[in-house]
Amino acid sequence: MSWSPETLERAEAIIARYPQRRSAVMPLLYIAMREDGYLTEDGMRQVAELTGLTPMQVDSVASFYGMFKKIPQGRYLISVCTSISCMLLGADDVMSSAEDEVGVPAGETDAEGVVSVEHVECIGACGGAPAVQVNYELAEGMTPESIVEMIRWLRQTKPDVVRADELQERFGGTKSFDPGILEAQGAVGPFPAFDPYGTAGGGS
Amino acid sequence: MSAYPQVLTKRMIEHPSDSHRIDVYEETGGYKSARAALDMTRDELVEMVKASGLIGRGGAGFSAGMKWSFLAPPRPAYLVVNGDESEPGTFKDRQLLERDPHQMIEGIIITSIANEVHEAFIYIRGEYPKPARRVQGALAEAYRKGYLGKGIFGTDYDLEVTVHLGGGAYICGEETALINSLEGRRGEPRLKPPYFPAAKGLYMMPTIVNNVETISNLPYIIEHGPDVYKALGDEADTGTFLFSVSGHVVKPGNYELPRGITWRELIFDVAGGMRDGNGLKTWIPGGASAPWFVPSDHLDDPITRDACEKAGSMLGSGAVIVMDDTTCVIRAAERVVRFFSHESCGQCTPCREGTTWEEQVLRRIEMGAGREVDADLLLDIADNISPGLAWPPKMTTICPLGPSSVSPITSIMTYFKDEVMQHIHGGGCPFE
Amino acid sequence: MGGVPLSELVKVTVDGRELDVPKGQPVIDAAREAGVYIPHFCHHPRLEPVGMCRACLVELETPRGMVLTPSCTLFAADGQVVHTTTPVVKKAQEGVLEFLLINHPLDCPVCDKGGECPLQDQTVGYGPGESRFVEEKRHFEKPIPVSDLVLLDRERCILCARCVRFADEVAGDPLIEFADRGNNTRIATFPDEPFSSYFSGNTVQICPVGALTAVPYRFRARPWDLRKAASTCHQCSAGESIEIDASQNDVLRFTGVDNDATNQGWLNDKCRFGFEFIGSKDRLRVPLIKNEDGTFREADWAEALDLTAGRLREIVEAGGGAAVAGLGGARGTNEDAYVFSKFMRTVIGSNHVDAQMDDGLDPKLLVAVDRKATISDLDSASSILVWGPDLKEESGTLYLRVRQAAQKRGVKLVVVHPRRTGLDDCTKHKISYRPGQGPDVLRALAAGDGEYAAARAVLDEGPVVAIVGRTGLTENPKLAESVAAFVSTLPEAKVMPFARRSNVYGALDMGLAPGLLPGRVTLDDADQVAAFEAVVGAVPDHEGRDARGILEGLEGGELKALVMVGADPVRDVPNGALAARALDSAEFTVALDLFLTDSSSRADVVFPAETFAEKEGTTTNVEGRVQKVARIVAGPGQTQADWSILEEIARRMGAPMGFQDAASVSAEIARVAPAYTGIGWGDLFGDGVVVPREGVEQPLRYQPVDHQMASVSAPFVLHLARTLYDDGVEMRHSLSLHNLAPGARVYLHPADAATLGVAEGDEVTVETASGAASASATFDASLVRGVVYVPFNQPGMSSLGDEVEVTVRKGVSG
Repeated sequence: MSWSPETLERAEAIIARYPQRRSAVMPLLYIAMREDGYLTEDGMRQVAELTGLTPMQVDSVASFYGMFKKIPQGRYLISVCTSISCMLLGADDVMSSAEDEVGVPAGETDAEGVVSVEHVECIGACGGAPAVQVNYELAEGMTPESIVEMIRWLRQTKPDVVRADELQERFGGTKSFDPGILEAQGAVGPFPAFDPYGTAGGGS
Repeated sequence: MSAYPQVLTKRMIEHPSDSHRIDVYEETGGYKSARAALDMTRDELVEMVKASGLIGRGGAGFSAGMKWSFLAPPRPAYLVVNGDESEPGTFKDRQLLERDPHQMIEGIIITSIANEVHEAFIYIRGEYPKPARRVQGALAEAYRKGYLGKGIFGTDYDLEVTVHLGGGAYICGEETALINSLEGRRGEPRLKPPYFPAAKGLYMMPTIVNNVETISNLPYIIEHGPDVYKALGDEADTGTFLFSVSGHVVKPGNYELPRGITWRELIFDVAGGMRDGNGLKTWIPGGASAPWFVPSDHLDDPITRDACEKAGSMLGSGAVIVMDDTTCVIRAAERVVRFFSHESCGQCTPCREGTTWEEQVLRRIEMGAGREVDADLLLDIADNISPGLAWPPKMTTICPLGPSSVSPITSIMTYFKDEVMQHIHGGGCPFE
Repeated sequence: MGGVPLSELVKVTVDGRELDVPKGQPVIDAAREAGVYIPHFCHHPRLEPVGMCRACLVELETPRGMVLTPSCTLFAADGQVVHTTTPVVKKAQEGVLEFLLINHPLDCPVCDKGGECPLQDQTVGYGPGESRFVEEKRHFEKPIPVSDLVLLDRERCILCARCVRFADEVAGDPLIEFADRGNNTRIATFPDEPFSSYFSGNTVQICPVGALTAVPYRFRARPWDLRKAASTCHQCSAGESIEIDASQNDVLRFTGVDNDATNQGWLNDKCRFGFEFIGSKDRLRVPLIKNEDGTFREADWAEALDLTAGRLREIVEAGGGAAVAGLGGARGTNEDAYVFSKFMRTVIGSNHVDAQMDDGLDPKLLVAVDRKATISDLDSASSILVWGPDLKEESGTLYLRVRQAAQKRGVKLVVVHPRRTGLDDCTKHKISYRPGQGPDVLRALAAGDGEYAAARAVLDEGPVVAIVGRTGLTENPKLAESVAAFVSTLPEAKVMPFARRSNVYGALDMGLAPGLLPGRVTLDDADQVAAFEAVVGAVPDHEGRDARGILEGLEGGELKALVMVGADPVRDVPNGALAARALDSAEFTVALDLFLTDSSSRADVVFPAETFAEKEGTTTNVEGRVQKVARIVAGPGQTQADWSILEEIARRMGAPMGFQDAASVSAEIARVAPAYTGIGWGDLFGDGVVVPREGVEQPLRYQPVDHQMASVSAPFVLHLARTLYDDGVEMRHSLSLHNLAPGARVYLHPADAATLGVAEGDEVTVETASGAASASATFDASLVRGVVYVPFNQPGMSSLGDEVEVTVRKGVSG
């Protein structure tokens, strides 16, 4: 199949952490997203082969969860929380402002393939409502204006890595809590920036 | 905030920039309890935790020590830490995971020793990559120092801990759905009986599922003993509790408080009162699943598990969502019901069909297309999900998600029926 | 249903009535048996309960008060008190039904399920009278195919998961699953991986709404127009219980009937959909006589019968009865087979008869082996050995039963086969080997040598049940018998020698094998032969030839004439070329058949025969279970039953056999076939009867022999095995199924292909001493190195014989 030997090695290391191979489906699906930018049929087939499932069994799991995207996303996926706490603090206006600036309704990607915008349910940042995530990196205390600035900045500078602390500093407002040390890690695509078992680094 | 005792947030307040590092953790007394636990028997540990009165902090509020004592004999047994925090209004575990991961890790070690567990999993929701990175980094530090892995702390006790990232599904916070998710399946809750995790959990083996905050309390309990822990609160609600306060307050955030203070204290003192000088209209006391409270009836009630239940609601995950008098409660209710409709796993008929139908009717009412019959229809749909609209709720469903969607409906119909009827008769929202 | 031990009964009170219920039985089933019906959708007695639809909610008394609980996941325990009709229960049931209906389309007028629909019926009984839903219903593109045979309508689907659970739990083919979640949940298959399970049709039957419909039945009938008859499946030798549904004079559908002894309600798709040949326009309707130029002309019965009787009499007078042979009888009823056997023995005077096509096992082993297993013995075994064909291909019922034993009952499974089988994923020990080296494997397994030690140890855990057969057509049938001999040394062992074709067990029981008389009697048993002759007539005493011997005899001229009854040796014997030459050499051939086949088209006279569902009678399955088959439609044109045609020929030969109807045949069988003593049609309700019945002795109790064979090896060896769908006669005329055959293929191990310079898809030629064939190459890493797998009897694939040595080269032959 299409994964490189290094990726397959990583996959086996992940599988080895679990008493049963099938448990590795979710981390392997993230690897598949990393490989192709989104979850392709081939990616699911590869995951099926590695876990001993049929491709449909993998698809059944993948499609259950909202973060496994089977349609290509923009380089920057903006998830706007519109659950109750964020709604109370104006998230609906942040959402329409984002849709207007990106030029597509929620759930779609702009024509250049740079920015996607979506509704999400509570992302656990209610103290900093309204909250958004860009490639799952958090920016809190957003306003209809600051989100427009953020979208423009993303489109202009096209950063390779999206960092939560940088977003917060540039565009954010109220925070849920003090983040403590700022960190250098961030996201490189529309999937969570978390590498299990070895290459994560994280905090220090 | 410093007026109240701190267990969970002490380190992160006193060490604003590096509370997540192992050197800081150990300088401030960390990993002493884990070493002590290695010298204790399983029974001693279980009894100590029972005596401390520690109850689950994920929402269900079950005694942690009792949960451990139910663990069935077959081995291997597993520990799964529930970091799937997704209940709207809740963001305390995010803070614990990011700011003090070692506290949780030490709690994992203690829980594992107490339950003869050698493989533990930390399930962190997919939308929390930064907390997951922090935890992974802390695990790496602990592994390097020999506090995890083969032969921890120089003994022959092995303990492997693995972080497992979720995929974006609130229902995976339900313990059996979480277990299914961890097994590589759809995050669908299992039937209880027979699939109580303590008997048939992960891979059908005995499993302890505990919330991040619950586990994080353990180092303190082992170090200071159950009596000191109890004294922080009171007999029924021991220790401290993390409240996530959000909505129309001046100072939203996570607050570590003992239970027993009043709602008035929480909203107006701790959280700084209402923004823009607006009036308090209503609040949700325990996360989106909880029925609402109103100032006329509940403002001076103590915040205890008992008082909340007697008043027909729950402390739940400790998420307090405050709404002022600019709020259209129908819109707020619809938003909460929409959440449950989106997050329904789809297995059982009443939840899959009923929560969406509720949302559709509420949306029509909110938009001004409500009919006279819709008020009663809404309650009847709710009744077919949660018969009798009782509290604690009865269920026609497999799990409590469906009945949770009923809470905002009964709340607005009980306290704000006039506003509902205004929408219906007025053909629109009076707040627009 | 389904294996609940009756040993412990507990008291459960349902609606005030105290019942004695097997402990652990789902209360919904206990209530049903006591006449209390509880509505349900996701519950199915043969699937694990999931409590998903919530329609079966009842109130259970507990110390904390009444609790609403699903009755499908409530297992009977002593002292339970359950209420099924309280106001709370009724409201909950009505609520669930309303919820199911809000998004359900108003398709009843155009939906196949209408009239036999649990949603319709239970809405009338337990649901609301009117709809309160004024929102937009869920919409999906519909219908969409999930396979060649099954269509899916997502709007109708109530997400009960029966199809998903069946595919995963029962069939072992998890190709159909839920996708998305919540209100968007839908059934789906993976792109380019349709639900082409051999058992897909079962999901259509168990779907409680019209979401899954079958292509061969779609829009064909309404349930209230159907005539129904209980019958027994005719495709394979397991004898599944089926219901035939017909309208006017057409067979429209088979459904599986839950017979705990055999198929437990399931059918494979060949059994289920393999009925279209019955109504085929190509069916023979009138007798045919061959012209000088090789074409056929239609004839009337008198002419055809006279011609046949005359030619046969000439040949018998010239060369004796032993100049005539008979082939076939495995595709008809026992009555047909008995009359054929009697005709050949007493009218013609020949022992050259065979119902097998040189592709089976020793008939004594098949029908008369000592300590024969029944299908339900598989449930209670400790370990099961399967050394034979891939059961998923050749016997869906045995495959499902073994799978169930391994997965649900903890039975340890040992499978021995040259390549992957459908059971591998639930097998404890899988032994792969090269065809030809079976004898060495058997010796090593029996001794528990080396890598076989663990498998051997498993087989010491009795009771052991073994299914033995030929793994492929290049395998010497003596190997399977040697395996059976080994099995007889195992603790509490029972054996099931396996042959696949239709009513072959019934045919052999009726004496359609050289050396066997009806009722499990050998020609060596002088007393029994005498008893038979006293009633029926003289039986010749020359050595009888088997199918291969018959074909060689015809080719060589020692045999002059052939009577074929429902046989197609040119396609069915491994050495088809030999069969063609044999038929061409014969002086006279008469065929009783449904179609003009490669074999019947070589005959001099062809009589149009009735087939399954057109005649009444009995068949016998792999266990020796005798069951009824029903007549529900009239055969086309002037077709007659096989036994009736043979009676007419016998009369014109001056030796009438005395049969007026099928019942009279059955009566004679019961008189003269010792193993069938006392079996009348009236005894065969329900599960039928496994013969011999209690108190009756069968004269032959065959002990399998270890033939101490030598292994055979060659650089490349041929594994020639059957697939479920092939180019068989009935398949060719069952249009829904015919294009499902894999077609001409040659399977090679990738490493072997590499050494031959063959890429996947290249044309390759395989050649044996008997013939050569070309087809495209497919890689199969489950093969042992040096093994070439060719599916047998595929369209476009010529015959290769049954030798194990084979050569392979790239390129097309010729």
